[in-house]
Amino acid sequence: MTMPVLSPPKPSRVHAVLGVLMPSVCVLIGAILAFLMFPYDLSFLTRIVIMMILVVSFDLILGQAGIATLGHAAMYGCGAYMAGLLALNVTQDPLLGLLAAALAGGLVAWLSGLVLLRTHGVALLMISIAVTMVLQEVASQARWLTGGADGLAGITIGPLLGLFEFDFIGQVAFIYSVCVLAVILVFCQILIRSPFGLALRGIDGSASRMRAIGTPVYRRKVTVYVIAGAIAGIAGALAAQVTGLVGIEVFNFSLSADVMVMLILGGAGRLYGALIGTLLFMVVHHVAASIDPFNWLFVIGLMLLLVVFVLPKGLVSLPGRVTRLWRRA
Amino acid sequence: MRITHYTVCLIASAAFSMASTVAQAETVKVGVIATFSGPNAIWGKQFREAIDVYVAQHGDQAGGHKIEFIYKDVGGPNADASKAAAQELLVREGVKYLAGFDFTPNAVAVAPLTKQAKVPAIIFNAATSSINKQSDFFLRTSFTLTQLAQPAAEWAAKNGAKKVVTAVSDYNPGIDAETAFSATFEQNGGDVLKKIRMPLQTTDFAPFVQRIKNSGADTVFTFLPVGPATFAFTKAYNENGLKGAGISFLGGGETDETTLDALGDQAIGLVTAYHYSDAHNSELNKSFVAKLQELHPGSRANMASVGAYDGVELIYRMVEAAGSDGAKAVEAAKGMEWESPRGPVKMDPVSRTVVQNVYLRRVEKGADGKLFNQEFATVPNVPDLGFNP
Repeated sequence: MTMPVLSPPKPSRVHAVLGVLMPSVCVLIGAILAFLMFPYDLSFLTRIVIMMILVVSFDLILGQAGIATLGHAAMYGCGAYMAGLLALNVTQDPLLGLLAAALAGGLVAWLSGLVLLRTHGVALLMISIAVTMVLQEVASQARWLTGGADGLAGITIGPLLGLFEFDFIGQVAFIYSVCVLAVILVFCQILIRSPFGLALRGIDGSASRMRAIGTPVYRRKVTVYVIAGAIAGIAGALAAQVTGLVGIEVFNFSLSADVMVMLILGGAGRLYGALIGTLLFMVVHHVAASIDPFNWLFVIGLMLLLVVFVLPKGLVSLPGRVTRLWRRA
Repeated sequence: MRITHYTVCLIASAAFSMASTVAQAETVKVGVIATFSGPNAIWGKQFREAIDVYVAQHGDQAGGHKIEFIYKDVGGPNADASKAAAQELLVREGVKYLAGFDFTPNAVAVAPLTKQAKVPAIIFNAATSSINKQSDFFLRTSFTLTQLAQPAAEWAAKNGAKKVVTAVSDYNPGIDAETAFSATFEQNGGDVLKKIRMPLQTTDFAPFVQRIKNSGADTVFTFLPVGPATFAFTKAYNENGLKGAGISFLGGGETDETTLDALGDQAIGLVTAYHYSDAHNSELNKSFVAKLQELHPGSRANMASVGAYDGVELIYRMVEAAGSDGAKAVEAAKGMEWESPRGPVKMDPVSRTVVQNVYLRRVEKGADGKLFNQEFATVPNVPDLGFNP
């Protein structure tokens, strides 16, 4: 008997490399266009890019491994505080900040993941929310370290690679964030295509079957949770470095929820889905909020309803749906 | 690289052309960064309505310039969004004044930008003393917690309070209020028996109220954020017999006008020390409240409204004095005095927070059945006592 399911047809080497690089190339082209077309909106564009990193990391756990949590802000926040504290007390080098934040995010993900990932469904959602709330309370109480509710202020970041100062218009911050996103996308593509990535997809499909063929399901889940946590930590660090302030709001429930909404809008399980969902959510949010700062939430709600009812698999499934409808007609 | 230079040139030339036309009439844009959506949207609403009132009363011209307000929503305490909004306002809209700032992190996040762009930022609410240290371009028309807690302590010590328990929400503003109150109260010969810190998220205050009751204090000083917590605490104060046991209540913003009617009759008699009541007895306040009623029926003026109203007054005066030259405008603002709906105010040249009267008020029921804060004692001209440069 053969096992055709888990061994995809071997594509050529060139194809494989192209496939790995494709999302990053798309992002870079999009970023260059955005840079040229909206030179005055770079701070907003930077926020989109940072949010994309966070949503991509969430896609690894929800989209690939099927682990639904509402506590992704925990790792994001720890990364942000780590980067902020490092810049204030040790070194102002931005890249070292990212590294430390990745370690912090990964560590928190590992510690919480050991408990979290033994549970499923609603319990998992609840405990993940609880972890974030505990961290928020800690950040609020440890005033000597974090500044409490006033936030960790006065973070200044040294020039990137010792060469490029962070400027007022936000050009360096934007290019920096885009480069980080591109690198992370390449990493995620490699991860998804590796045997480890396939195991995650298998766990999403049926954990018991994966266990039956000898996959250590729990350990795989913890591993991907730690990886996603590290990437979320990097996103938090970028936000801290670009804003120069970390508030306890980095642990807000609404952030975790927004991340999930963005991923579902775009389509979970595909990196493009994470990117498109974030872009759409943030742009609609921004445009609607500038047209009507008072009632814009309505537009977001309507958009989410439409997508969930019409395209349950997210916006990335739109082309497929359209061609299918076309053929039927 | 070419584009980089192009952009920089563009901005430089824009800035230059702005600078060269300072003396002529121009539109001065003011960016208002506040919360207009979500659970904290009341701040943005109060700000905007007060701005509407000011513009309706004084027109949109100041010193020959037209003043235009641009609103940006940041959806609550959110430093990232606040900084991005400020950056967009400064770079794209070319605003010459920033204003708003309901929450402390939102104000602190824009501090570096105000310094780089030399743009004054007028704080309508955020009440942590240390904000103004972050940038010389911050000016505050609201209050600080020390500014309220310290006069409250002095008044209490002079009016028969001997033993006090402080009960505050466990976050920075609460701690600030606790520290300022207890230090001043002890200096004035009183005893602080207990310092209770209550979790920010809780709405079950019965255990805390019981501890207050058992402590043998004659007064409880409290600071809670406006909202469900205040509602639950005052309820517990009444229902668990603190009122009956003769322990008097001394608070700050708990009896805020926008939530006072929701508190209901249980609020009657609560004493608070605060800088503004919409029942303040002056011609200016009456016209302010009347105009607000006319433009936005159903709205009530509160501390956020008066912070914004005075903030716009300050901006108009700064534009008159210095046009869109930020550094000059801040210099001109220092020491400025004017009549506000809350009483006389003066911009402290050192702390850049208004010097103002603090009133002791008691909640009463008006002839129209609405609750209001009746001022009955005044501590005049209190500066921001918590400021240390």
